[in-house]
Amino acid sequence: MRPERKKIRLKDISLRTDEPLTTVTANDLMPLPPPLDQREKKAPYSPLSEDQKKSYECSLDGVSALALPKPKSKEEEEKLVERFLEGLRKLLSQNDNWLFWQPLIHSLESCVRCQTCSDACPVYVSSGNQEIYRPTYKSEILRRIINNYIKKRGKILSKLTGDDIELNWPTVARLAESAYRCSLCRRCAQRCPLGSDNGLIGREIRKLFSQEMGIAPKELHDAGTVQQLRVGASTGISSAAFQGMVEFMEDEVEERWGKRIKIPVDKKGADILLIHNSGEFMSWIENPVAFAIIFEASGVSWTLSSEIYGYEATNYGTWYDDVQLARISLKQVEVAQKLNVKKMVMGECGHAHKGLIVIADRILMDEMNFPRESYLPILEDLILHDRLKLDPQKNSFPVTLHDPCNIVRLMGIVEPQRQILKRVCPQFREMEPHGVENYCCGGGSGFAIMNSMNFKEWRENISSRMKLKQILETFNDVLDPRIKKYVCAPCSNCKGAIRDILASHDLWEKHGIYYGGLVELVANALVDMKKPFIEWEWH
Amino acid sequence: MGAMILFIFYGSILFFILATALRVRKSMNAPIHLHWELYKGSSVYELTEWWGKTGSAFGEKLWPMILDILFLREFYHRNRRFWYPLYAFHIGLYLLILWHAWLFVRAVAGGIETVSIFGWVWGTFSTLLAFIGGLFIFVMRMTDEELKVYYPPIHYLKWILLLVTLAGGVYAVDVHFKSSMPALLKYVREQVTFADFGYKLHPALGPALHVLFASVWLVYLPFSHVFQLFFRYYHYLRWDNVPNIRGSEIERRIKEHLERPVTWSAPHIQSGKRWREVASELQQTPITGSK
Repeated sequence: MRPERKKIRLKDISLRTDEPLTTVTANDLMPLPPPLDQREKKAPYSPLSEDQKKSYECSLDGVSALALPKPKSKEEEEKLVERFLEGLRKLLSQNDNWLFWQPLIHSLESCVRCQTCSDACPVYVSSGNQEIYRPTYKSEILRRIINNYIKKRGKILSKLTGDDIELNWPTVARLAESAYRCSLCRRCAQRCPLGSDNGLIGREIRKLFSQEMGIAPKELHDAGTVQQLRVGASTGISSAAFQGMVEFMEDEVEERWGKRIKIPVDKKGADILLIHNSGEFMSWIENPVAFAIIFEASGVSWTLSSEIYGYEATNYGTWYDDVQLARISLKQVEVAQKLNVKKMVMGECGHAHKGLIVIADRILMDEMNFPRESYLPILEDLILHDRLKLDPQKNSFPVTLHDPCNIVRLMGIVEPQRQILKRVCPQFREMEPHGVENYCCGGGSGFAIMNSMNFKEWRENISSRMKLKQILETFNDVLDPRIKKYVCAPCSNCKGAIRDILASHDLWEKHGIYYGGLVELVANALVDMKKPFIEWEWH
Repeated sequence: MGAMILFIFYGSILFFILATALRVRKSMNAPIHLHWELYKGSSVYELTEWWGKTGSAFGEKLWPMILDILFLREFYHRNRRFWYPLYAFHIGLYLLILWHAWLFVRAVAGGIETVSIFGWVWGTFSTLLAFIGGLFIFVMRMTDEELKVYYPPIHYLKWILLLVTLAGGVYAVDVHFKSSMPALLKYVREQVTFADFGYKLHPALGPALHVLFASVWLVYLPFSHVFQLFFRYYHYLRWDNVPNIRGSEIERRIKEHLERPVTWSAPHIQSGKRWREVASELQQTPITGSK
């Protein structure tokens, strides 16, 4: 029996204690289906060391995503609280926050507290309905801080609208961490009957901390957007290194598959400038290779760019900072302009799709408003119009599709990937739910690359848990390791998160569950490929 | 007392009109925000060269909006248990609003004495439906663990006031006017036509209290969720597939915002410059950390 859980009240966020409000235990977790239902239960994440606890804020749930140092004095605490309040004023000001003011105000004002969104959240459900992960938790705290400290509507009205939150440093620190327990998948927003977007509120809280207080996860800011703006890619790849990688790709294709191809780089006037998440070059080089093979086979006029900013599709600003988002978007478009291509095309990177094609639509003015689209309709066209000779029997193994939130729910690209898979994978099967109702991989909004202290464990065992459950349920009739199975995840960050959950449960070794992108399956089905493109080597 | 009620009643109508106009103006003048969208299914981005293939969304949104407001479809699909009382309450309320509009028209149209029983049935049925729905919602809000979460005290008071207002309506019609539609319509005509001022200054308690409560609701309505429900479909908040085209109204509005100063204070921002400059004039961005 599950022991009675301590009830968390909103006002607990202000408690002046280093003890976490909640620590998720093994017994709290949502059960997993076979074959993981019999495994020994273990705590979803390790406690931080005593030194870490002394140095960093972790009093929300015992996890640290931000590595937020503890203030050294009362004065420093007060100063930080004042800066938070100043940032909050800016967040609510039309002048300072015109970029998201209207949807933020709508989301703050329209919630009727029906909690219809709670069950839509994979983190809330996977953790065993922990109050601190409820989609409305951080929103309600923000709302009440606004009621008390910004609107100042008098004692009686404040009392009636909820005035139980004391704004002190523990409140600010816990709120900062709580914005990084939501992957911004916005499944809750899709579910809300009133259109309140708790995902957006989470992003706005992140933004307040970044843009006003300079607080953001290192992986997103220092090693992410700052590094990208400095050297050209968030992975740190320089232009010279990139050119070396392209040569390596050409050699790899020849060595592995006996084909010599020429990968066009900096080809002026090409129809398409293809931009990949640079993580593909580091971790899954077969993905850009598959693109190259497919585009060459279909005779598409395309190019990659070796210019700084031209070989990196990521834009982590999408998740936490409007200024960084705008800067990176403009730099990426400048590259396409210089190359005089007809359009920019995003490779398999979800947030790059959403960031540059959708969100930046209202950042890019005049000649910077450059044509940008997804690779998916292009690939669908190539296949439906028989520009590629395909043999689907080469993919005769069970395949399922993970829908990246950014491409599907947040962009409305639902069918092309299905049309492609139906053409190239005879054993394609949907996971449930799918399409715009899909669940996040657990790595969304930067989680896939955030590995501070025990955050990776939290991600693997809580935020990715629902995706793991879905994958196991989809393949429950073919768990025999001799039957190779493929989770198609057409997004770099999703792929990383799925790799980690499959690895941490030995699902490749013990049950033959592999993962990869979409173009790899298309390349694998090409008639002209003498050897199978997919090599089933875990990495 | 009578003068006060009179002032509150007509004042609340005036307030309702003004506050609604201001609310609409506030929404119309809200700065255009970045394209932050959700999709119910396939979108224009499934097409190659989508930028030339998008249409105007106004008409497309109208019918779904009417259906959503009329049937509370989103609650029906996503929170059925809550939808039952919610729908009874809302449908009762919609019918009551229509009934009041009919009362005003019927009262000035003449022939009050010949009015049929149908008017009474309509009003009573609507009130009962709204009352039962409201009562169930109130009870669920008090007892259901999920619906209790974060529900602020002011909303409980709101439901009590609402139930009292509905009960007051029944009292006025069925006790004070003894369920007589001609008597009720005569009263309404006096209110609407500004006739018989002396009577207005010394109103009977039943109708006066009901009018007082109704006035409170008129003051509240412009700030209620009903308005939110409408606005979310427009002003680029939901189901917005209109892209920014060169030379478009969207571009014009965004350009205005790009000239605004950036006031955020973190070291990487370059506070004080305009948005256009901060986004495009890249300087060495400092590594930041908490201060």
